[in-house]
Amino acid sequence: MVNVIAISGCSDVKREPGSIYMPDMAYSRAYETYSERDSTIFTSEENHSDDKIFYNTLPVTGTIARGEELPFPLTKDAAGDTANYAASKLIANPLPPLTAEELKESERLYLINCGICHGAKLNGNGPLYKDGNGPYAAKPAALVGDAKYENMPDGQMYYSILYGKNLMGSYASQLNRDQRWKIIHYIKAKQAEAKGGSAPVAVDSATVVKK
Amino acid sequence: MKISAKKKLKRVMFCQIPVILLSPFKDISPHLYNSTVNMIHLRSIMGKLTFIAAFCFFVLFSNQSFSQDGKALFSQNCASCHAINKDLTGPALAGVEDRWPDKKMLYSWIKNNQAVIKSGYPYAVDLYNKWNKTQMNLFTSLPDKDIDAILGYIKVEGSKPAVDPNKPVPGGVVAEEGDNTLLFGILTLILAIVAFVLLQVNANLKKLADDKEGIPATEPVPVWRNKVYIMFATLVLFTIGGYYTVMGAIGLGRSQDYQPEQPIFYSHKVHAGTNQISCLYCHGGAQESKHANIPSVNVCMNCHMAINEYKGEALYTAEGEEVNGTNEIKKLYKYAGYEEGKPWDATKAKPVEWVKIHSLPDHVYFNHSQHVAVGKVQCQTCHGEITKMNEVYQFADLSMGWCINCHRETKVQFADNGFYSIYEKYHEDMKNGTMDSVTVANIGGTECQKCHY
Repeated sequence: MVNVIAISGCSDVKREPGSIYMPDMAYSRAYETYSERDSTIFTSEENHSDDKIFYNTLPVTGTIARGEELPFPLTKDAAGDTANYAASKLIANPLPPLTAEELKESERLYLINCGICHGAKLNGNGPLYKDGNGPYAAKPAALVGDAKYENMPDGQMYYSILYGKNLMGSYASQLNRDQRWKIIHYIKAKQAEAKGGSAPVAVDSATVVKK
Repeated sequence: MKISAKKKLKRVMFCQIPVILLSPFKDISPHLYNSTVNMIHLRSIMGKLTFIAAFCFFVLFSNQSFSQDGKALFSQNCASCHAINKDLTGPALAGVEDRWPDKKMLYSWIKNNQAVIKSGYPYAVDLYNKWNKTQMNLFTSLPDKDIDAILGYIKVEGSKPAVDPNKPVPGGVVAEEGDNTLLFGILTLILAIVAFVLLQVNANLKKLADDKEGIPATEPVPVWRNKVYIMFATLVLFTIGGYYTVMGAIGLGRSQDYQPEQPIFYSHKVHAGTNQISCLYCHGGAQESKHANIPSVNVCMNCHMAINEYKGEALYTAEGEEVNGTNEIKKLYKYAGYEEGKPWDATKAKPVEWVKIHSLPDHVYFNHSQHVAVGKVQCQTCHGEITKMNEVYQFADLSMGWCINCHRETKVQFADNGFYSIYEKYHEDMKNGTMDSVTVANIGGTECQKCHY
């Protein structure tokens, strides 16, 4: 009877998670992802590391994971300066041309991360812009069909992905170095395709992978 | 106006009932039928009127071919940094001709802004400093007549009144529909009373008949001491009470339908539904790690540096209260430490403390990448129709039975997959035709220690 009353008393929006009976091994004793650290024991500020355990979840500056591409040699320009942006033109794409399989993966990454603004056809008309009818007010760069971007060197594109450019934010947290260079290869391949040339796809053993 | 989400949904569904479906009601309730049909007609007429108005508007302005050229030129050259009525990378351009003291200087600014700054022209230098020394692209080869067209387009667009997105759409509000559960409850109660009365009448009639025939009447037993009634009532209470007790006990520790209030009213419907942003844009961790990560503030700011107001359809909380989307974006700016019109310093951002909805007990191991990247399971399979949720709720109960059921039914990509080459017997069976597919359960997906270790 108590149950019936308790249940009929609730509104249909459940704002509380509900109760748990004898939570045996339900909650982690170890620190889980996103769990709050005990601030009496841990600190994320290095200058307080004398009395507390210093831990800020970041790897030591300059850490390079195994097999990871080397970091970009240029730093972000200060406001009003474009020296490093200009210098980035000289940096070449360290990755060899993509295999057919890599190209497919790069396309998938492009569609997830870039396509919403730059469009699935790379024409700068993604669902967020929609010819100016979408919520995004600025017109995204037309990667295909605009001579500026078709002639843009790989390094400069990388600079924009890494640090952001104008209203575009940095994608450093969403794409790793390898993925960024691969996406640039994909864009260049699409630009070449649009110009009528064949996409510079490497033909090696990996292209005959079983589907 | 307070409307619960459920009623809102009903409303939407109600509008979409075709007139044909309503026709059987014509005989039952002609009034209701007529009013509903009229409403539908009215709405379609309103829709047409809006369309005609929009068309006239379009024709009116597209006649100015001058302005149309300007639009194309604007979109090609200026739109990536400037909007008409909004500051982006560069200032809003409405009224730019009136702002510049000298029109000639404006033309030379557009062509080569760096040269104008170097010449020390005060308005240009001020502008350059005000916009944090952001350099404008050079358009040295842009002919004067193109600049004329662009400025003409800006003038026409800038003089248009701003459309108020919060203005209510005309079309009338559909009459509210009562909750059916209450109606059924009342009907059941009435039927029960009728049955009870009939039983009493029957007993009385029997008594009368017996009296007439001279059979001596037994002392009538009152209802509350009638053993049949008592037994029946006990049985009903036992069943109902038992049902709710068992269901409540099963539900302990599970939190299906849990829909907490989040620090920011972030609508997955707007982002993943209307704007078609891939789930993995924000939750990219789902394809490479155990956890589907919560996006950090910089991911929000990728778009919200430019999108600072909400203009879509009205938003409602689960309780039915209207939400001002623009205010919610302002909340994000507070977390990000971003002031509009100034460059954003990402180091000032503070994390948004979102409330976790889907929690598995620590004694279960679940890995997102295993399901998303390897198993190619859609996010919606476990999280429900996220693209339709304004406020996310827990769709599945996340019980063990639910997990196991999916593992029994889901087929794995067995053929041409080097990972499963060691299952020789299954390969043999597939070849012989004794087995047509291999499920997750077949390859150990229901073993205890797969998830509990």
